[in-house]
Amino acid sequence: MTANGLRVIVADDDADIRTLVSIAVRRAGLDLIAEVGRGDTALEQLRELRPDIAILDVSMPGLTGIEVIAELSVDEQLRGIRVFLLSAAVTEAARQAGIDAGAEDYFFKPFSPRELALRLTALVPAVGRPE
Amino acid sequence: MSLRELLSRFVLVDAPSPLLKQAPTTIALLAAVVITVNVPGLEFTDEAAAAGGIWGIVFATILAAIFTCSPRFDRLTLVIPFIDLLAIGFFRLGTGASASVFASLIILPVIWIAVTPHRRYILLAAIGTSVALMMPFILGATLPEKPGDWVRGVFTPVVFAIAAAIANEMARQGRVQVTAIRALAEERDLMLRGAVDYTNRLRDNEERLQAADRLTRSVLDAVTEQSVVGTDVTGLVDVWNPGAERMLGLASIDAQGKRYMHEFHLIDELLDRSKELNYPPGETVLNPGFSALVESARLGQPEVRQWTYVRADGSELSVEVAVTRRVDENLKTVGYIFVATDVTQALEVSRLKDEFVGLISHELRTPLSSILGYLELMRDDEENPLNDEQLQYLGVAERNAHRLLRLVGDLLFTAQVGSSSFTLVTSDTEVAPIVRASVESATPVAAGAGVELLTSIDEDIALINADAVRLGQACDNLISNAIKFTPRGGSVTVSLANESDKVVITISDTGMGIPADELDQLFARFFRASTATRAAVPGVGLGLSITKAIVTAHHGELDVVSEVGVGTSFIVRLPAKRFV
Repeated sequence: MTANGLRVIVADDDADIRTLVSIAVRRAGLDLIAEVGRGDTALEQLRELRPDIAILDVSMPGLTGIEVIAELSVDEQLRGIRVFLLSAAVTEAARQAGIDAGAEDYFFKPFSPRELALRLTALVPAVGRPE
Repeated sequence: MSLRELLSRFVLVDAPSPLLKQAPTTIALLAAVVITVNVPGLEFTDEAAAAGGIWGIVFATILAAIFTCSPRFDRLTLVIPFIDLLAIGFFRLGTGASASVFASLIILPVIWIAVTPHRRYILLAAIGTSVALMMPFILGATLPEKPGDWVRGVFTPVVFAIAAAIANEMARQGRVQVTAIRALAEERDLMLRGAVDYTNRLRDNEERLQAADRLTRSVLDAVTEQSVVGTDVTGLVDVWNPGAERMLGLASIDAQGKRYMHEFHLIDELLDRSKELNYPPGETVLNPGFSALVESARLGQPEVRQWTYVRADGSELSVEVAVTRRVDENLKTVGYIFVATDVTQALEVSRLKDEFVGLISHELRTPLSSILGYLELMRDDEENPLNDEQLQYLGVAERNAHRLLRLVGDLLFTAQVGSSSFTLVTSDTEVAPIVRASVESATPVAAGAGVELLTSIDEDIALINADAVRLGQACDNLISNAIKFTPRGGSVTVSLANESDKVVITISDTGMGIPADELDQLFARFFRASTATRAAVPGVGLGLSITKAIVTAHHGELDVVSEVGVGTSFIVRLPAKRFV
C-alpha cells in the first residue's frame, strides 16, 4: 500500500510499452497491482482486483480497450474504475471515440512517460486520498 | 409510259409539223388527179389551169417539207394553206370550174388556216375560199353571171368561215385543254420529282440513322467491363449491353421489355434510400422502388452511388452506378441510363489499404513509442545522471526517432488521403494563431540553420472553416520546407492577409528555387526537385503532396511561384467564412 493507495492495472500487448507505463505509474506514486498483455485477461483482473485506475491499450488481443470499457460500464461495481486509453491511432476521431466510450483520457503513442506520470499524479487529489 | 412520252403525244397533236398538215391536201389532190384520169365522164377541162393547180400543191408540199426541217420559217407556215387554196382554185378551174367535183378540197387548207390561233385567220380563210372559188372570174376579170356562181363565191365562203370559226374555237379549246393538261402534267412532274427527292433524302437519313445506330451499338457492345442499361421512365429495360449480360447474368433478350431495373437491386437498399430521400416510395415516379434509384437524375443531377446488384441467379455484386437522364428533343425525360462498374475489387483494395494503414500505424509506432519512451527515461533518471557526451548522443537518437515518427506519420497520412479514413474535423477557426504557432515552433530550427524568420500577420483576419490540426500541419510543412531549402544567411517570410473573400497565407524564401519545368510535378507524391536532391537536402517528397491534400480538403488552393537561385513562394488561399 503506497501513500495515496490508488491501485492501478496496466494492460498492453507490447511488454516494453507495458513496462514503460508501469514505470510512469510508479513514478506517479501509484500502486501497480497487475500488468497484463490481453484485453480479456485485463477484464478478468479488473473484475477480480477492482483497481481504482486502468491504463489500457486500445488495440489488444482478446478484447480491445474500448470493449473492456463497455464491459466495465455495464457492471455496477466496476463502473467507478477510471480508464486511461493508450493508442497507436493518429486521428482525433479515434481519440473522440475513446472519450465517448467513457475513457478518462486518451494518450497517443508515442507518449511521454513523464507526461503520463504527471497526468496520473494530478489525479490523486481528485480521487481523494484516504487519510 | 413515262410522263415525257405522254407529253410528246400532246405536243404532236398540238403542234403537228407543216408537212403533216399539208399531207391531207396533197393526198386528196393526188386522189383527185387519179380519179379524174380514170373515171369516165371526168376530165381536165383546162389542162393548163389543172397543171398550175397540181404544181401549186407540189410547191406547197415542198415548202411544207422545208418548213418542217427548218423551224425558223415557223412564222411563214401559214403561207402554205393559202398557196393550197390558190392551187385548188386553179385545179378546180382545170377540172370544170363551177362544174368541178373537187371544190370540196378547199375545206382542207381552210381547216388548217382556221385552227391557227387568232380569229382573224377565220376571215382570211373565208377570203381565200372566196378567191379560190371565184378563180375563173378573177382570171377572166369578169363578174359571175349565174346566181349560182355568186352563191358559190360568197355563200360558200361564209359557210366555210362559220365552219372555220367552229374549228377555230374547238382548236382554241383544245389548246386551252392541252395547256391545262400540260400545266397539270408539269405540276405532277414537279411533285413527283419532289417526292423522289424526299424519298432520296429519307433514304439518306435512314442510312445515317442506321450508321449512327450501328456506332451506338458497337460502342455499347465494346463496353464489356461495365453494364450499360437503359430504361423508360417506369424503369422498364430497353437497353442491355453485353456488360450488363455478363454482370447481371441475363441475356438482353430476357431483359429488354421484360424486366425493371430496380428488380436487380437489393430491396433493403432501395428502401433505405427512399427513407433518406424522405418521401414515400412511388410518390415521384411511376414505379415504386425505381424512384429511389433515379431521384437525383430525375431532377437533372446525374448521380454516382454505390449499390448492390442482385444477379439473375440471386448472387450479389457491389457496384458503383452512374445514373443519368434520357431526354427527348423537347428535353422531356423519357428514361434513364445506368452505367455500373463492378467495385468488388476496388472495395477489397480499399479494405486492404485501410488494413495496411492500421498495421503500419500499430507496428511502426509501437516500437517507436518504446524507443522514445525509454530514451526519455534515461534522460530523466535522476539517480544515474548522464554526462554531457551521453546527453548529446541521446539527443541524436531522439531526433532521429522523431524523424522516423514524422515519416511514418506522413506515410500514413498519404495513404489515408483519398480513402474514407481521411476526414477533416472542422470548426470556425482563426488562422492567425495557427500561423503564429507554426512560426514559433519553427523559430529554433530557423535559428539553427542561420535563416532569418520574418512574419507579417494581419491580425484582423477572417474566420475560416478549418481543421486546426491539419492546417497547422500544412503551415509547419511549408515553413520547415522554406527553411530547409534556404541557405545560411537567407530569410523566410511568412505573411497572412485577406484578399477579397479569401484568406491568404504566403511563405516566401530566398532559397535555391525550383526549376520551372518541375513545378507541375511538385505536388506529386515522392517527387523531389532536382535542386533539392543536388543540394542533398533530406526528405522523401511527401510534405508538399500532404500540404496540397490538406489545402484541397479545405476547398482552398495551393500555388507556387519560384525562380532558381532567387527563391520560392508558396501561396495558400482558403475560402473565408466571415470576417472577424
